[in-house]
Amino acid sequence: MLDLIKIEYKKIIPYRTFWVIFGLVFLLTPAVFYGIGQMGNDTVSFSSIYQFPDVWNNITYLGSWFNLLIGMCVVILICNEFSFKTFRQHVIDGQDKVDFIVSKVLLIVSFALFSALYLFIVGFLFGSISGGSDVSFVKDIKYLLIYFIQAIGYMSVALIVATLVRSTALSIILFLSSIAIESIIQLAIPYPFDKYFPMEIIANLTPNPFLKDIAVQPGIEIANPLAEAQIPLNTTLIVAVVYIFIFWGITYFILTKKDIK
Amino acid sequence: MTAVLNINGISKSYGKVKALNNLTLQINQGEVFGILGPNGSGKTTTLGIILDVLNADAGSFTWNGEAPSKYSRKKIGSLLETPNFYPYLTARQNLSIVCKIKEVNESEVDRVLSVVDLISRANSKFKTFSLGMKQRLAIASALLGNPDTLVLDEPTNGLDPQGIAEIRAIILDLANEGKTIIMASHILDEVEKTCTHVAVLKLGNLLTHGPIQTILNTQEQVCVSSDDLEILKLTLSQIDGVSNINQTGGKIYLMLAEGKDSAYLNKALFDKGIVASEIGIQKSDLEANFLELIK
Ligand SMILES: Nc1ncnc2c1ncn2[C@@H]1O[C@H](COP(=O)(O)OP(=O)(O)OP(=O)(O)O)[C@@H](O)[C@H]1O
Ligand SMILES: [Mg+2]
Repeated sequence: MLDLIKIEYKKIIPYRTFWVIFGLVFLLTPAVFYGIGQMGNDTVSFSSIYQFPDVWNNITYLGSWFNLLIGMCVVILICNEFSFKTFRQHVIDGQDKVDFIVSKVLLIVSFALFSALYLFIVGFLFGSISGGSDVSFVKDIKYLLIYFIQAIGYMSVALIVATLVRSTALSIILFLSSIAIESIIQLAIPYPFDKYFPMEIIANLTPNPFLKDIAVQPGIEIANPLAEAQIPLNTTLIVAVVYIFIFWGITYFILTKKDIK
Repeated sequence: MTAVLNINGISKSYGKVKALNNLTLQINQGEVFGILGPNGSGKTTTLGIILDVLNADAGSFTWNGEAPSKYSRKKIGSLLETPNFYPYLTARQNLSIVCKIKEVNESEVDRVLSVVDLISRANSKFKTFSLGMKQRLAIASALLGNPDTLVLDEPTNGLDPQGIAEIRAIILDLANEGKTIIMASHILDEVEKTCTHVAVLKLGNLLTHGPIQTILNTQEQVCVSSDDLEILKLTLSQIDGVSNINQTGGKIYLMLAEGKDSAYLNKALFDKGIVASEIGIQKSDLEANFLELIK
């Protein structure tokens, strides 16, 4: 196991695309978070988003958007294995399909871990500097754990799409449009089953905090997952974890069915 | 002799194309086994199946008597079709990944890079390599860990004449060390110079297999002529070590036993009172033999 993850990082540490994407995410997260807090006018102030304990819900909600970028990075890394034929070479050299899945899952979990850790640092700094709240910083820190699961969820979707499609450009398009594709399918599914679709479940892990706190701007309609879905966060979490395992299983199934070209 | 590889009735189809039809082969330790055949005859398909990247429709195979697994593949050095590496990584970084997969000491990287003459470019990115350099790197990769068995699909593909000679020398060295080498090729000259055994495939069918001398008739022939061919023929048949006498045109062709050369033949004829007007060594025409085989 340790060797498998070491091999994964040997591949990506010298890879520029990997650094560009993570660099972007790690730079933009605090920058955008800071920017949002500075918005507002005399009547509405956004600066309270920095305060404990709200900061955890707020920063993970923001982070969830960047999860799409990280998922894109996973798509690229996995499609590379097929387009460079290095997956095939790894099998020839002495790995098997289980090693492939385990390697990629370990990579995904490590990415999620780094991102969650980074959000913790950013959130903690914003919360500490802004002051104005007496609650302990650990209150509501569960959002970080939920974010961690969500990150794994998005990246597992990336894994399955990349393994199925194998072409980088097509996989990125399909991955980024998966939410849209899902919502079209949902139209045909009766309530409440439509609320259990994977992308929606994963997205709902980090509920939109702005809907709780701030008056909804007229003209912008955002579904409030908490109000509408009425699936408690705990249930969402369990369903998401189940989906993640299903995704890994399907990915393995796809691999075993196909010749390795 | 122990079988390194046992292939048992393997078949593989791509839709309507029967790429491999009930192939059964045994490859023994120490053999340099050439798989010959025209384009699309199923050579790569065979190697892909025994390396577990292609799923056979039927049949089975064993490595050293055991069911194939990733552990058996770790001990085989393989080059299948094209060199596959990360373009943005250097030669050294790429091989270091292979070392980790094969559970081989990293010190092997510099050794194999030296063997294929790439050590001076060890820190260049793979994508900057020429075709021949990529092929050399793939061969280097197959040599990592000094495996007892090598599987090589057209190992000299894309190499310059010097490169071909070098790789051939490497293969011969490995063969002399007693390693088992399974090699697909359509370069007859290459097969003749390196292989001890061959199998010939055509459209997925095994046409024939066995020691290379018997299959491709690689033994050298001696051609002799003199004034009276009938007497010559009769005399030749009485000389020790002479076989396969036949007459074509105005010349007699024959084979000499191991250790006997044309000087021996000349002396033997002279002792019997015959002066040969011509004695020459005739290389057998591999290409003609091969084309005859796959007709
Ligand atoms: N992925 C594939 N899809 C469809 N047909 C294939 C595929 N791979 C191989 N084939 C077919 O299988 C047959 C055998 O191909 P294979 O690659 O084994 O030939 P080969 O002996 O290695 O040829 P070459 O000397 O050109 O390398 C060919 O008819 C080929 O068209
Ligand atoms: Mg081939």
